[in-house]
Amino acid sequence: MSIAHSITTLSTTRPRLVFVCVLLLTLGLGALIPLIQIDTDPENMLPDDQPDRVFHRSVKSDFTLYDFIVVGVVNEAHPDGVFNQETLAEAHRLTRAIEQIEGVVTHEVLSLATVDDVRSDGPGVVRFAWMMADAPTTDAEVQAIRDATERQPMLRGTLVSEDHRALAIYVPIVDKSESHRIASEIRAVMAEAAGDEQYHITGLPVAEETFGVEMFLQMGVAAPLAGLVVFFMLWVFFRSFALITAPMIVAPVTVVATMGLLIGLGFPVHIMSSMIPIFLMPIAVVDSVHILSEFADRYRLTGDRAEALHEVMHELFTPMLYTSLTSAVGFASLAFAPIPPVRVFGLFVAFGILLAFVLTVVFIPAYISRMSEAQLAKVQAAVPVKQDSDGPHDATRLGRVLKWLGSGSIQYNKMVLLFTVGVVAFSVWGVMQITINDNPVRWFSPSHEIRVADRVLNTHFGGTYDAYLVLDQTTESGAPNVSDLAAAATAIVEQTGDAALTDAWVAIQADAEDDLDALIDNVYDELDAALTDEEAVVWEDVLAGLEGASGGGGAFQDPAMLAYVEQLQAALLATDHVGKSNALPDIIKTVHRALREGDDAYFTVPNSSGGVAQTLLSYQSSHRPNDLWHFVTPDYRRANIWVQLKSGDNQDMAAVTEQVDAFLAENPPPPGLTVNWGGLTYINVVWQQAMVNGMLNALLSSFLIVFVMMVVLFRSFWFGLLAMLPLSVTILFIYGLIGWTGKDYDMPIAVLSSLTLGLSIDFAIHFLQRTRALQAETGDWATTVRRVFAEPARAITRNALVIAIGFTPLLFSPLVPYNTVGIFLATIMSASCLATLVLLTSTLHVMRRLVFGSPASADGS
Amino acid sequence: MIKTLPKLFFFLCALLLVGGMDATAQDLTDVHTIIDRANLAAYYAGDDGRALTRLTIVDAQGRERIRQFTILRRDVEDGGDQSYAVLFSRPADVRGTVFLVQKHVGEDDDRWLYLPSLDLVKRIAAGDKRTSFVGSDFYYEDVSGRAPQEDEHALIETTDTQYVIKNTPLDPGSVEFASWTVWVDKATFLPMKMEYVDAAGDVYRRIESLAVETVAGYPTVTQMKVSDLRTGGHTISEMRSIAYDLGIPEQVFTERTLRNPQREWFSTRP
Repeated sequence: MSIAHSITTLSTTRPRLVFVCVLLLTLGLGALIPLIQIDTDPENMLPDDQPDRVFHRSVKSDFTLYDFIVVGVVNEAHPDGVFNQETLAEAHRLTRAIEQIEGVVTHEVLSLATVDDVRSDGPGVVRFAWMMADAPTTDAEVQAIRDATERQPMLRGTLVSEDHRALAIYVPIVDKSESHRIASEIRAVMAEAAGDEQYHITGLPVAEETFGVEMFLQMGVAAPLAGLVVFFMLWVFFRSFALITAPMIVAPVTVVATMGLLIGLGFPVHIMSSMIPIFLMPIAVVDSVHILSEFADRYRLTGDRAEALHEVMHELFTPMLYTSLTSAVGFASLAFAPIPPVRVFGLFVAFGILLAFVLTVVFIPAYISRMSEAQLAKVQAAVPVKQDSDGPHDATRLGRVLKWLGSGSIQYNKMVLLFTVGVVAFSVWGVMQITINDNPVRWFSPSHEIRVADRVLNTHFGGTYDAYLVLDQTTESGAPNVSDLAAAATAIVEQTGDAALTDAWVAIQADAEDDLDALIDNVYDELDAALTDEEAVVWEDVLAGLEGASGGGGAFQDPAMLAYVEQLQAALLATDHVGKSNALPDIIKTVHRALREGDDAYFTVPNSSGGVAQTLLSYQSSHRPNDLWHFVTPDYRRANIWVQLKSGDNQDMAAVTEQVDAFLAENPPPPGLTVNWGGLTYINVVWQQAMVNGMLNALLSSFLIVFVMMVVLFRSFWFGLLAMLPLSVTILFIYGLIGWTGKDYDMPIAVLSSLTLGLSIDFAIHFLQRTRALQAETGDWATTVRRVFAEPARAITRNALVIAIGFTPLLFSPLVPYNTVGIFLATIMSASCLATLVLLTSTLHVMRRLVFGSPASADGS
Repeated sequence: MIKTLPKLFFFLCALLLVGGMDATAQDLTDVHTIIDRANLAAYYAGDDGRALTRLTIVDAQGRERIRQFTILRRDVEDGGDQSYAVLFSRPADVRGTVFLVQKHVGEDDDRWLYLPSLDLVKRIAAGDKRTSFVGSDFYYEDVSGRAPQEDEHALIETTDTQYVIKNTPLDPGSVEFASWTVWVDKATFLPMKMEYVDAAGDVYRRIESLAVETVAGYPTVTQMKVSDLRTGGHTISEMRSIAYDLGIPEQVFTERTLRNPQREWFSTRP
């Protein structure tokens, strides 16, 4: 291969130039890293203009909803739970302190210390008072607060747990991206508490933000730690620090350059892209290990550095180019996923893989060419040819195992194939068991404080995950025709036969100049000026005609519409995961009862829209009149049911939406109403579905592309097919395993399919390329197998071991996605290594006549 | 109330003395005099009065809601007890709702609400008057006035046209503000601006008099704006058809007449 030769020649003759270029690349792109912008918002998994996201945003803005942190105060010790002076005082103190924290929407904080209590206060009296303006100082006051909360259905299960063991404080925040800082400040306030109470903080924004913060800690800890273990593994195999330093330069340079480019191009580092280093490190190391492995073996035999290098590069350049291209294609296929952060991730990993390839073929020879004779002598001495040695750590044990594997694969080839069929069947069954599910809170290990808080608070309360079920009035009477309306009104006025009224009507029409709003304003003024009931009734009738058309009052003051909202709420409560819902009817019923002397018989929606409006007017005479607008828009055309879910699992949210859909199918909304979902928990379901479909398409399309590339590389349909065999079995096995172990198919797992494809194909290409070349050289299948299971198999196995063991530090991360990647890498490596060495050998053995033909025509090139 | 009488007497004398002088005359330096005169100018013009009021409630997103009502006032004595009656006409679904206040200086006011669609007369429990007035950014207390006796006053600045007075509540637990500052016009003694400061020292609420007209000899604020700086919303109150000294009888302001407001008095026809 002339390209390989010229590159190797250039690298080995101008090593300084290579070093300077690598240094410049690292420094140049690395310098951009401080510009980093972090984006941990899973909402950004969807494009900005995605319809569900647009709807979610409109819901948030129309109902002035904020993302919130949920703070829990739990007292398991006191016989009265939280209803004792100390706990209430603590909750009061905490609330006041939280209100002072920068970034908290002070006037929207929900706590017993901030909410109002509208209640009946003796015969004929209604009272608007703070629920807990000051911390109670007597048991009677505590009792009063407890009794008052019992009468407030909006608070029960939301601010006070039904079992009285827990209080919640809902802390709305201006910006989701500040939730970690605010949560930390709240924790600082909590730390000052001394009583029996336990404190917890949860809520999706905190989980997401905290994940972001810890994610970067992990990037700083787990990735270098993995590097260290990889380094150790390389030393075990090559016993030369000088030699193995080379890949340990290539991998970080690849990572730094790729991340620098990503950041420099202005892409925020999302949860996905934060995984780029973890993905690039093994891929960058793999090629180097192939070179080092081959080089060490050859140099050991010949002792000629330049010749060994050229031979190795000649041997490996094409397979390395193809493995890099195929891996890159595998990741680049993610560019077709409908999720922007996944596209960025795929494209930059693809870039990193190609960069790693260039660095490997240019830098490694240059580096080896600059090694001193003494260092090289060490390499030679460290891995001696001692087939009969029983040294505890040397490579010959590996050699023996490989030799046995090679002969075994041929001897027991039928069993191997049978076993593979069994594995495939097992895996297919497992894949069918896969549950597609995700939940940002579950990205933390079970003992993490966020997981603990999530568990504790969701046992006590109606649920800390929120979704919004939004009802929209869609009927629009069209642009009102002012002259038609005015004509109808004229008829009403003229019917009275009162000349003064007619004159007034003519005058105010002239004044309004065909502007309906101005005309309505004028009629109101006439109504307010009316001296007799008869006159007033005329103007009221006129207004009814004019305002009716302009949509004066919206649907959600209509008792019939509110009854439907109540039905929907009942249906929600009947689903499996909804603990509670709050909506407009709850406010109306509570206030209506308070207006009716607290009589439970009146815990109803009044039967006229005037009754509803006047109940709400009373509610709005409280300290927090604007709370109403979280549940209905000021024009009463849009209503919001705040749904509290006990679980943030996407599959649970999806189950709720399905059950609500079933309800809607059986009980269609009144004409002119539509029902839609919003809220973070729901948005997570939407992007997950997009993700699963996107990943499946990306995997299938890259599978096809890789297959075509394999056929081209080997110039053989059969070899192309064979090359796909190990990765197909591996991917199937991995996902089968996920199904069997009951692990949810979540974001990291979805992305790992690309990694599997990329890493598995690497082994298959090297193996097949070398097998084919050796078969052409020897013409004897048994000899070929024996020789393949010496050097090439050793390189593959070394690679598998380096990566599998090298990334075990990820298992100790408190973040579940990192654990997942760690386990996956080990499993991918073991499975694809075995599939390549054993399964391919057995299959080749069975198909040897078909694929190699006569010994003479074996080499396609 | 007895306590306020000497003050009232002092005020009346001051009124006689100052009334004849022109506006550039010597500034007042006694803060109580200024506060009392401001209280009278803002809440006690004439023996009684009527106005057609339109509240435009605007939220942070610019969404508007309109409430329209006729408000009647009758003073028992200047600077002392007085009554208010508010009859809503708009929006249509709260039409006929009445809000009635019998204000007592030095003790709790009596307040009632009549809800016609529910045919309910509700007495509003004594206590906090700093709750929203029918969902607007005004408080009940802004409608009928905060008694000067509830705060400690300090004249902090006298400008060419205004007295600036800082008011600190005597019972801080009863209100949501730490203090409020009022800018009183030297000529009319009308409060032109009020700012409420929270415990952190930030202004979170502001009331401004946007327009002043002299009606029947009484300088009258005809347009006011109250802004809630926390929510970003505001309410504008516009008063028209203003009339004073109508001779409105006491019976218009009683619980018994809530269900049948007399058009004769509520009508804004001149």
